[in-house]
Amino acid sequence: MNDLDPPDKGYDMNGRRSRYDNPSLIDRLAAAYVAGTLQGPARRRLERIMQRQPALVLAVNEWTERLGPLHVALPPHAVSAGLWPRIAASIGMAPPSSTITSATVARAGEDTSWWRRLFAPIPAAALAMGLALGSVAPALWQTYTAAQRGMELPDSYVGVLSTADGKPGLIISSLRQGRVVDVKQVTAVEVPEGQTLYLWRIDKAGAIAAVGALPKGKFTHLTLGEPAEKLFFTAVELAVSIEPSGTTPVVPSQRFVYRGLCGKLWR
Amino acid sequence: MNDRDEVSQLLARVALRDARAFEALFNLAAGRLMAVAMRVTQDAAMAEDVLQEVFASIWNRSQSSAPGQNQTLAWLCVVTRHRAIDFLRRRKPEEPLYWCSESNQERMHDAPAEDASPMERLLMNEADARLAHCIGALEAAPRLALLLSFYEGLSHGEIARHMKKPLGTVKAWTRRSLMRLKDCLGALA
Repeated sequence: MNDLDPPDKGYDMNGRRSRYDNPSLIDRLAAAYVAGTLQGPARRRLERIMQRQPALVLAVNEWTERLGPLHVALPPHAVSAGLWPRIAASIGMAPPSSTITSATVARAGEDTSWWRRLFAPIPAAALAMGLALGSVAPALWQTYTAAQRGMELPDSYVGVLSTADGKPGLIISSLRQGRVVDVKQVTAVEVPEGQTLYLWRIDKAGAIAAVGALPKGKFTHLTLGEPAEKLFFTAVELAVSIEPSGTTPVVPSQRFVYRGLCGKLWR
Repeated sequence: MNDRDEVSQLLARVALRDARAFEALFNLAAGRLMAVAMRVTQDAAMAEDVLQEVFASIWNRSQSSAPGQNQTLAWLCVVTRHRAIDFLRRRKPEEPLYWCSESNQERMHDAPAEDASPMERLLMNEADARLAHCIGALEAAPRLALLLSFYEGLSHGEIARHMKKPLGTVKAWTRRSLMRLKDCLGALA
């Protein structure tokens, strides 16, 4: 085994292994991963370990940023005209075409579920449309009837989060200057005893920040320590992970179980 | 907004199956990712196969990042290079990235830069000049070992054979070079 090969066994209940408490080793592993000297099974083991080692993820982020200019320094290499149609066809997105027009892109979503198609235009508008057409939460009807009356909803943050397998999962909303987040659980996920759903915000650079633990229940409320405007203004996405109850994690310890756009419902 | 910010935003929208964002991401990043894949595969058709896998996996969410991992253009480049190495070894398992032919002639998947070298291009960008300076400050042999790994996807063993140096030496070179780079960049920050 390479001296930098990360072992993938022998973790404690928190998914931690004493070896990864060593910042020097974490840094070396992250450097080797990003620089390309960690290959094959060793690299894949590291990628699995990253799923539960926030310190390793942070180190990889730093090395990715540090060495990123080396990649960008390569002169761009033109791709053939046939590549995009091939990719689109391979994922069932669109008929092969060398010029993808907006109409083609609009058709591309036809094989996806109806609620996903609603995301395709401008996100905030899509969220509003999704809320108006669906019938999965009280807010939907309110949105629709308000629109019918020519009224406007108060400025709000709205998030529609999907589950890991792409089903509508959570609907989250808060008044722009409010301190309460309403949460409607559309598709439940299993939360083990002693753990809780935990809400995160994600900015455009992918940086994740904690928002708070979500109370159990199909329709619940989370009280914010700061106005929603301050917490969510830079957020482009919201996500939810499962964390140990009573903790205040800095980064998610597990994969997200819900994730979706954070929309700003105002002009 | 620069390319890196835009890639992050587009990736966030692609995660929600935004087809328009997916096409925009392709238009924005494919040329750079193709350059990364070409350096490793040395074959345009294979490099495009790599890109097809990368983009398809992004759309199908099979290429998921770890929680907290920044999804940037640099991240996409790392993903593409890893995929290209896997692809090449899968496609030609009998053929390493560096090898000797039957006539004992050394061969390596090594694409010459099309115009300016990556180092020269780094120096063109003032913001990236620090990295170029720090790489330039490394000793020649360790620097070559590091760049062979980074750009060509060569393993430690392949670099050792190519440079005719012991495996342990190459491992130490690359490890120490990376740490020196970190220290150098930290000192310049």
